[in-house]
Amino acid sequence: MLFTMTWRNLSRRKRRTLISAFTVAGGVFFSVAFTATGDYAYTNMINTSATMGFGHVTVEPEGYNLSPTLQKRIGGANAIREKALKIEGVTDAIVRITGQAMFASAAKSVGGVFIAVDPSQESPENNIYLRSMVEGSMLDKTDGRQVVVGWKMAKKMNLRVGKKLVYTTTDINGEIVSEVGRISGIFKTGVDAVDGSIALIPIDKMRSILHYGPDEATLVSVFIDDQRFAGQMRDVIASSLAMKGVDILTWSQTQADMAGIIAIDRRMNYLSQFLVGLVIAAGILNTMFMSVLERKREFGIMMAVGMTPGRLFRLVLLESFWLGLLGVIMGALITIPAYIYMSNIGIDLSSLVEDGADVGGVLIDPIMKYRLYKQSVAAILSGVFALTILAGLYPAFKAGRVAPVENLKIV
Amino acid sequence: MIEKNSNTPIVRLSSVTKIYKQGRMEVKAVDALTLAIGKGEFSALCGPSGSGKTTTLNLIGALDIPDSGDVMLEDRNLRDLSRTELSRLRRDRIGFVFQAYNLVQVLTAYENAEFVLNLQGVPRAERKERTMALLKEVGLEGMENRRPDELSGGQQQRVAIARAIAPEPAIVLADEPTANVDSATAGALLDLMEKLNQEKGVTFLFSTHDERVMRRAKRIMTMRDGKLVGDEAKN
Repeated sequence: MLFTMTWRNLSRRKRRTLISAFTVAGGVFFSVAFTATGDYAYTNMINTSATMGFGHVTVEPEGYNLSPTLQKRIGGANAIREKALKIEGVTDAIVRITGQAMFASAAKSVGGVFIAVDPSQESPENNIYLRSMVEGSMLDKTDGRQVVVGWKMAKKMNLRVGKKLVYTTTDINGEIVSEVGRISGIFKTGVDAVDGSIALIPIDKMRSILHYGPDEATLVSVFIDDQRFAGQMRDVIASSLAMKGVDILTWSQTQADMAGIIAIDRRMNYLSQFLVGLVIAAGILNTMFMSVLERKREFGIMMAVGMTPGRLFRLVLLESFWLGLLGVIMGALITIPAYIYMSNIGIDLSSLVEDGADVGGVLIDPIMKYRLYKQSVAAILSGVFALTILAGLYPAFKAGRVAPVENLKIV
Repeated sequence: MIEKNSNTPIVRLSSVTKIYKQGRMEVKAVDALTLAIGKGEFSALCGPSGSGKTTTLNLIGALDIPDSGDVMLEDRNLRDLSRTELSRLRRDRIGFVFQAYNLVQVLTAYENAEFVLNLQGVPRAERKERTMALLKEVGLEGMENRRPDELSGGQQQRVAIARAIAPEPAIVLADEPTANVDSATAGALLDLMEKLNQEKGVTFLFSTHDERVMRRAKRIMTMRDGKLVGDEAKN
């Protein structure tokens, strides 16, 4: 009976019910918009950042993150890589040496950062420089003289493919060492700070210059299938390696600036969603409250003939339930087409975003797109639904407090 | 079946007083009222507007609580019951017929008539059997699926009567049940209630100043200014 009554009560004022359901549907739509743009942007930034050198999880010498120096290094880097690759959820692990260097051409000298890599371990998916090549080719040996630089550095130093470049750094003994390389390729990520300061060098060549052992490196970059679980994966990797003298850090520790910006943005996003939620709740509260006030006489009748306050409370709450469910279904129906469009095509905001705009050194994608995790979908639908039910609690409580004798007098 | 025409009181009011506040004024709607209603009675509370008839009905019907005195329904003092217990008492032991019919507008005639049985948790099959029999008895066979706005005033009041007697209550309280219907309909409704009283032993207490009701009632209690000023039983 309650079921029948709630549906008929809702259909009694069809327009109001539809407007309220659309309010809930709007809540679903906007929550998806906020969450999905955030999920896409954050995931994109984190994954892009991971491909700039450190991965999602980094195994590095103890204290290296706070005080990076080439004297700090880890031995058995390839064994670490092999172990990491066996862990479920790890998609790749790459041995690298990173450090600061002075780069000089016939025209100019600039300070920068080198990343020494083993070309056989690198792939475009996990190396932004590799997939951003605009000229020449990637390194093809581990001990050659090839060097890949960013286009900005090439421009500043008047470098082209085939030109010589001298790089100077300090070895494990603190001695200044240098080597001559030859430009094999030029990349362009779009971030000036990156394109003007990064150079890729063959790893064995760098080991010989730095006097590293054949299996020594400054880090092993570990890539995982879902950046959200970097913390859990760090713990799994740590227990699997069971090594002393190394730090195992997540992207949020190695990319603290970007993590901070994401954290602030995420909170602003939550705040926006909370405000949208408040508007929805106010709408539902208003609808349900008006509906209760209008039916005080009817509630008085029902209580007079024996309906208990608890049952009346449930009746009104059930109306909120159906209103919420209807709104969530309508929300899904209006959101799905938008989601399909936004996740595949998106909105091009190039005209609003400056070329090369970055967050913490990571290029901002000017295409606004959607990405939703299953957990986010569940959170949005259950959150909006719960909000509707919560908004119905007070009117339901008020309905249960109706005094039959007073309300029977209402004409 | 309800026991017919026993002298055992179903309702006893002992020195019941109910005061309403109207602004700064206090109005004694019921003033030290003492009365008893026996099983199977077909009685009426009469008196001019403002004499306290409806308030008395509300007090007997557990819709209101007296400021002093006791209202006993089947030996239960209503003052001792919680809101939920009062609701259950109304559901199980009291039937209401109101002047304005007071049907639930979103429910059909059938659903309104079975409303209280539903609240009682009577099984569906039994509910259907009893409700259909009642609707037939009140002359609404074939109108089960009509909503209140598709029924005449008299038909709505018949549904209200069916709803009131469906749970086989100890007493049916009828507040001006004929006030909103024409004479012919009023006569038919009174015939129906009289028949239910005589054949099924349903106890009726009317609040009325309708002569037609007073003529049919077997006992007339007259109220004025909240007090019982007359109590006459007819043969």
